[in-house]
Amino acid sequence: MPKPVPKKSLPVPTDMPLVSRRTALSHGMAATLAAARALSPALFVGCSLGIPPRARTVPVGLLHSQTGTMAISETSLRDMELFAFEQINAAGGLLGHKLEARAPDPRSRTELFEKRSRRLLDDGAVAVFGCWTSSSRKAVLSLFEERDKLLFYPVQYEGNESSPNVVYGGSVPNQQVLPAIDWLMSEAGGAKRRIYLLGSDYIYPRTVNFVARKYLAARDLMPAGVGYVPLGQQDFGDTVKAIVASGADCVLSTVNGDSNVGLFAALAREHVDPGKLPVVSTSIAEDELRNLLPEQVKGHLAVSCYFQSLPTDANRRWVADFQREFGFDRVTGDPLEPDWCLVHLWKAAVEKAGSFETAAVRQAFADGLTFAGPGGPVTLDPKTQHCTKYFRVGRIRDDRQFDIVHQSEGPIDPDPYPQIAFPGWKCDWTEGGITRGPEVSINGDI
Amino acid sequence: MVRDPYSRASSSTGRPLRHATMNESFLWLYEIPSRNLAMLFIALFVGFYWAGTILVRPFLMPFVRTTRGANDIVGYVLSCFCVFYGLLLGLIAVTAYQNVSEASSNVTREAAALSALYEDVSRYPEPYGQNLRWLLRDYTRYVIKYAWPLQQRGIVPEEGTIRAEAFHDRLLDFQPGTPSEEILHAEALRQLNHFLECRRMRLFSVKSGLPASMWYVMLLGAVLNMAICWLFDMKFVTQLVLGGILAAYLGTMMYLIVDMNQPFRGDVSISSEVFEVLYRRMSEE
Repeated sequence: MPKPVPKKSLPVPTDMPLVSRRTALSHGMAATLAAARALSPALFVGCSLGIPPRARTVPVGLLHSQTGTMAISETSLRDMELFAFEQINAAGGLLGHKLEARAPDPRSRTELFEKRSRRLLDDGAVAVFGCWTSSSRKAVLSLFEERDKLLFYPVQYEGNESSPNVVYGGSVPNQQVLPAIDWLMSEAGGAKRRIYLLGSDYIYPRTVNFVARKYLAARDLMPAGVGYVPLGQQDFGDTVKAIVASGADCVLSTVNGDSNVGLFAALAREHVDPGKLPVVSTSIAEDELRNLLPEQVKGHLAVSCYFQSLPTDANRRWVADFQREFGFDRVTGDPLEPDWCLVHLWKAAVEKAGSFETAAVRQAFADGLTFAGPGGPVTLDPKTQHCTKYFRVGRIRDDRQFDIVHQSEGPIDPDPYPQIAFPGWKCDWTEGGITRGPEVSINGDI
Repeated sequence: MVRDPYSRASSSTGRPLRHATMNESFLWLYEIPSRNLAMLFIALFVGFYWAGTILVRPFLMPFVRTTRGANDIVGYVLSCFCVFYGLLLGLIAVTAYQNVSEASSNVTREAAALSALYEDVSRYPEPYGQNLRWLLRDYTRYVIKYAWPLQQRGIVPEEGTIRAEAFHDRLLDFQPGTPSEEILHAEALRQLNHFLECRRMRLFSVKSGLPASMWYVMLLGAVLNMAICWLFDMKFVTQLVLGGILAAYLGTMMYLIVDMNQPFRGDVSISSEVFEVLYRRMSEE
């Protein structure tokens, strides 16, 4: 076999290029591949060209009025929910998803709540945290039931309702108003007997006052008077005169929103002494006090499941975290604390279920969930989908905070259908749902 | 009441509005880190030039080899072409830079107006003053934490409008009781209008950029530029090297224009720093 002649020894024609196209191509290709191989770790992460991976997101709806008469109260709920989501996202998200908050504005108009929540659900919101007034909650209830989605409602309300598609985070009358009457009638509360029931004119005050009247009647007492004012009303001159004229020794107020500004201004104009005729509000918390003049509200009372001044380490840390994020002059309160607990109860349920699906999350509720909130432990009752609550009474101070003058010994179990007002009615979503009793008219005679 | 028409016109689902700017299918380019994007453009242009040299040039050569002094003619055509194309690229680069610069000025003006408004409302009687300050802080926080990341994805943020409206509503609730309060209120309203105007300008610039037709002309110009180079009759390797250098620079120019095209996207973009500084100051009090 002849020995192959080395390529080097081939004569090079002088009219040809030193490097042939074939050689250049092969060398070029090799060089390109080598360069690509060398640069690829720095240039390309897989095929992503170094594009950082985008986190998977899941939309969550926040349905709170940010303009209009309820904005004064509801905006803080939105912020608390955003704060909770930001913390959850910072800790890695939920089931590998970042929570993406969508917060349209229902503008304090009941008819817009349904439209906005429909839009949220159309956009794929896996859960919605929202509403304040009962009318807004009732406006969206059928939509959530129709779509089988969960609404997390953080505000105290009148009870007489239970839905498998709503998780109620606030107090019901047996956790707030009825203990308030008991306390007012006790020695510590001043042994009051002539209670004036004053409220905004909508579902919550009317139902709560109905329950209160029933409760008083069971103790052979009648309210000193019952009055309602339109939501948003500012002129309380005649109302306060009527209260004073009734001889009431305290006012149980379910006045909501910025109407409280007018109410307390009128009380101050009439020189009503909170020591003799205290107003006990169910809907005033630290956030509402921002809009009230301290000299007009000092000494009056509020009943709630939580106050910012609660002297526990967990609460101090939580308040400090919130203020660090939103500003030195921001305050917490009820229903911000229940709102925070609701988000975390939902998170715990989703983690337990391993899914955002309503049925799976609801099943996780059924096993019982507890969260250590800033105001104390909160347990979600699977039978009613309401939460256990502490009962606390606070006296308003100069600095728009409360002195806690009374606290229940432990959390009170929820009862959305107090038998004194709704005999025969009960609710157990673990076994069949609502048991109906006789129809009750909240505007009827006691 | 002054409403923000831009946000109302945007999609209810938060999807970006459609504009005749850069095709949205190319917007992923802005997610590539700047250095990688530059190398990608250079690699694409050089790769295209080299591929053309190998695959297209052999078919073009017969047209020029039969002509005496073909390289001189090609060189003359190329230099004429480069004058026009260079002018176009230069002007477009300046336009893109001005776009970023203008958007940056709007952001600065908005933050300055916000700061002035914050100072004005700080002098309101309580509880108005505290509420109004709180609402402005809320707006600023939203811009930093939520609006900016959306803008960086080319989405016009909607919920800032709600916060601006909430502030406007609350400001209008205030009834001045003294002549000095009247002057302060009038000044706050004037400042508010200025702030809303700047805010609207920022939102408009979220999706601003060069029109699609400019991109077509630029890309066609780049292809023609390289095609003319393929017509040079020279050694193969020399062709690769010299043409490659030209292609690399074309790629660099194109990268520069792409990177500056969207004021809020990519590495060369406007940051939320002015708002962050303002928010820190608001929170310190």
